[in-house]
Amino acid sequence: MKSFTFEIDGKTHTGRAVLSNGTVWAHVDGQTFVYESPEKRSIRRAGKSMGNTSPDEIRAPMPGKIVKINVMMNSKVEAHDVIVVMEAMKMEYTLKAQAPGRVSRIGCVIGDQVSLGQLLVKLET
Amino acid sequence: MSQSTRIQKLAIANRGEVAVRIIHACQELGIETVLLHSEADVGTRAWRMAGEKICIGPAPTSESYLKIDRNVQGALSAGAQAIHPGFGFLSENADFAQAVIDANLIFVGPKPQTIRSLGDKISAKQLIEKAKVPTVPGYAGADQRIETLVDEAASIGFPVIVKAAAGGGGRGMKVIRNRNEAADLISSAQREAQSAFGSSIVFLEKYLDHAKHIEFQVFGDFTGKCVHLFERECSVQRRHQKIVEEALSPSLEPELRAEMAKAAVTLAEKAGYNGAGTVEFMVQDDRFYFLEMNTRLQVEHPVTEMVLGVDLVKAQILTAAREFAIWKQADLVPRGHAIECRVYAEDPFNRGLPSTGELLGLHWPEGPGRRFEVGFEAGDEITPFYDPMLAKIIVWDEDRPRAIRKMVKTIDDSIIFGVRANLPYLKAILTHPEFVEGIMTTQFIQSHFPEGLTPRGLTDPQTEFGKRAMAELQGRPSKPGAGKTSDLDVLAAPWSGAWRGV
Repeated sequence: MKSFTFEIDGKTHTGRAVLSNGTVWAHVDGQTFVYESPEKRSIRRAGKSMGNTSPDEIRAPMPGKIVKINVMMNSKVEAHDVIVVMEAMKMEYTLKAQAPGRVSRIGCVIGDQVSLGQLLVKLET
Repeated sequence: MSQSTRIQKLAIANRGEVAVRIIHACQELGIETVLLHSEADVGTRAWRMAGEKICIGPAPTSESYLKIDRNVQGALSAGAQAIHPGFGFLSENADFAQAVIDANLIFVGPKPQTIRSLGDKISAKQLIEKAKVPTVPGYAGADQRIETLVDEAASIGFPVIVKAAAGGGGRGMKVIRNRNEAADLISSAQREAQSAFGSSIVFLEKYLDHAKHIEFQVFGDFTGKCVHLFERECSVQRRHQKIVEEALSPSLEPELRAEMAKAAVTLAEKAGYNGAGTVEFMVQDDRFYFLEMNTRLQVEHPVTEMVLGVDLVKAQILTAAREFAIWKQADLVPRGHAIECRVYAEDPFNRGLPSTGELLGLHWPEGPGRRFEVGFEAGDEITPFYDPMLAKIIVWDEDRPRAIRKMVKTIDDSIIFGVRANLPYLKAILTHPEFVEGIMTTQFIQSHFPEGLTPRGLTDPQTEFGKRAMAELQGRPSKPGAGKTSDLDVLAAPWSGAWRGV
């Protein structure tokens, strides 16, 4: 962590920043921010667009463990049905369907340690 | 030189900031330490601080921190005379306490039979009913079938809360609002309870919807004589996990305080309590209801230490060594106000989702009346296996408004790089009018911050600061006032959109 003092618009601002893996973390005026380099940002964006923004896929929103899978292949699901239950940092999180559909693929089993963005269940909507 | 003749070396069956807290206490007492840790915690702050360390298993808690035999074996092989369980994990497990004693080791905590009768919330309720302390209506039966629990919940009347019989800390707790969701939530609570505490037994209670959470710290010497160390208010909870705690409560009238303190001490003495324990109550409409008794050190114990000038962890260890005469009740006079904020590795701008990764940098702004209980240092890895608490910030000042202001300033100046942390969330809580007034209930978070915080933009000076720091860190130093060079102008467009609060 490095300390920086810059004069900006006639006022002195002192803060700290660190660069790691194309990402800058900075703290100034009581707030912390991250900046991702343009390359890293596009990778992360791609990862996000594969996330639960797509209504036919359930992806892991965080690294964690699969504790329950409520569906089987070809199960019919309704919007807001709980599809998968994950555990991370000792708390359970439920992942719900965003739209009605039929299960076309299950990419995990109970007990799996899954990574951020991993495809867990695919639906045909 | 050890101040304790019975304990020269103490094993710590825990991790993170509480392990560090116990090591600090041992260092002051001249007691050597052995850290019983999982593979995932090699190299963390507690691991570096401990005199010796013994790996007791892989990362999952069920294969390491919750393994009774491995913890006992680890302590024995290191030649320790005592085990401190910290909080969480095996700290309220009577079988563990018994196994420790059976191995001729000292358990830093109450007797196994005390833990069994108090720590298990079902029998604790029966005990406190005998002591004529009011309890919340509920079901605490042995029949744990889902159908039975659903029927019992319906007959109590929704909303109903389901809780782990063997635990605390929000894990294995769910609020059930209607019959339709009851079965799913109860089975989820049972799984969380099994994973966190090694027992899936749950109980049900009527859910009080505008109550305050107020708890009394009690302490018993080795003869079973108990005192109370006043109360803490912990109404600011999210998913039943405490976030901000304070001592004393801003809203307890002296008569009610005295009545609750008496009930807490009566319960502890009836149970022959030794060491530190906490009697939790819900207070609604000037009535109090017994919630549970935690037979261990509490995460929020520092606020009590700050207003009373005591060291509860040292007192625990000395009491376990049968060397400590506890405080006289009349000597325990609180002064000023203390607040604790729990710093969690979670993204306040993304519904509190856990954040993992390497800590790239940490800075804690020291100052008078500021205390930092920190489990990790820069370079440590935050893994998905454990509780997301990174640290606790505790402040003390002469009165509550000053303590709040001191905490806000301390949060502003605290730095965590590498994982997203809840510091902006803590600040939003502390500056909320309801908190400032002291009238918050356990519904506070649900009512005011159900989805965390909304991301906000950066000020122009912050954006400019970031640009220049980036340039310097990449080894292309920016000249003062050079913010308008063509180099930075090229990058300005993608940057502004990529910045976001963490």
